[in-house]
Amino acid sequence: MRVPILKQGPYLIASVQSALTDQDLVQLRDELADRVGKSRARGVIVDVTVLDVMDSFATRTLRTIAHVIRLRGAETVIVGIQPGVAFAMVQLGLSLEGVETALDLEEGIAVLNERLRATSGAVPDGG
Amino acid sequence: MADVARPLSKEAGITEEEFARRKDYLEIGPDDIDRLKRMNEFAQEYAVPVIDEFYRHIMSHDESAAFFRDPRVLERVKRLQVEYFKRLTTGEFDAAYAENRLRIGAVHEAVDLPTKLYLGSYAFYLRTVAAKIREAYRETPERVLDSFLSLLKVVFLDIGLAMDTYLVRRERTIRHQEEALRELFTPVLQVRPGLLIMPIIGPIDSQRARRLTEQLLAGIRQNRARVVVIDITGVPSVDSRVANHLVQTVQACRLMGARAMLTGLTAEVAQTLVNIGVNLANVNTVGDLQGGIEEAERLLGYRVTREDGTPPRG
Repeated sequence: MRVPILKQGPYLIASVQSALTDQDLVQLRDELADRVGKSRARGVIVDVTVLDVMDSFATRTLRTIAHVIRLRGAETVIVGIQPGVAFAMVQLGLSLEGVETALDLEEGIAVLNERLRATSGAVPDGG
Repeated sequence: MADVARPLSKEAGITEEEFARRKDYLEIGPDDIDRLKRMNEFAQEYAVPVIDEFYRHIMSHDESAAFFRDPRVLERVKRLQVEYFKRLTTGEFDAAYAENRLRIGAVHEAVDLPTKLYLGSYAFYLRTVAAKIREAYRETPERVLDSFLSLLKVVFLDIGLAMDTYLVRRERTIRHQEEALRELFTPVLQVRPGLLIMPIIGPIDSQRARRLTEQLLAGIRQNRARVVVIDITGVPSVDSRVANHLVQTVQACRLMGARAMLTGLTAEVAQTLVNIGVNLANVNTVGDLQGGIEEAERLLGYRVTREDGTPPRG
């Protein structure tokens, strides 16, 4: 299922709605890489709250997304990894090294706001 | 006692086959059963005097007498012993018998009767019985030894079962203690909004590490924590496995958006970790719990000052 990407102030929010196939993930990656430039976004949040499994492909794709977005001049935060998912991931040796994470959407936005304030001194409105 | 319902024979691993094997190894055969049955007549007659002598012996020694201070207990035990004496010579040694003997052994263990007293009393008991057999078989002295040896086989069967209950009970106690230790409650405490501490006391094994991590992750979500301080001052030994668990816990916290810090690595623990080559490069470590909390507060933007405005360290 395609992941809807919403624009919220200077941020893009990709809110995963159901389990993702590898194809969906690739599509999400390409779409985010594209949209971040078009909408001149400063940050991207990928909300994975609904996912109850995270395999190596998904992990790798999320890492790739974060790296690509950084090259496009924005920050990425992965939010909503559930306790069970986090535990399973570390047991499988999967990590999101170098990728920002936050508890949920609210915390993710707070993280991006902090980042933005630190770099430009500007506090985004409505963010 | 909650475990009365559970047959001891099951816990001690005394299946019917096992019981049969034991009897077989002791070579309890039809001849023995025969001899025992023949003794039943005078066992009925001698049961009470034998037990009376037996308890006179027990009561004449302080150490053993201490177990029978209560006269009611003594009366009850005596009655049971009379039954037992008669039972020994019925020649029927079935599963119910095994269970009964195990139960008696368990009672001994429960009151902490030392095995030396159990065995010592048994030896006295056998001497008394031997004397009675000799008396009863005055006319046919050649039957005395054989009869006694048959009885001895059953007695050894019995002692074997009783010893097993001692061991089973001991093992059960040890197991319970281990479980209690493993289930040591580890609180996940909120110190300030967004800051959790988890002081771990006691050894960590895979199971406990898993439970601790789950608890901590649930705590992060529930308290919306952004920084957690894991204090391992109370963890007696940290080897590569434990270190690995801790690294995983820290990583899992990070996946949930919380930064985890490890505090309380003692000098020995730090030396060990370096010597065995554990890499904690990706784990944020701070000397002690205080340092960890201060660092966490800094990360969260708290500043602690005294009322007069001076910093807490003065």
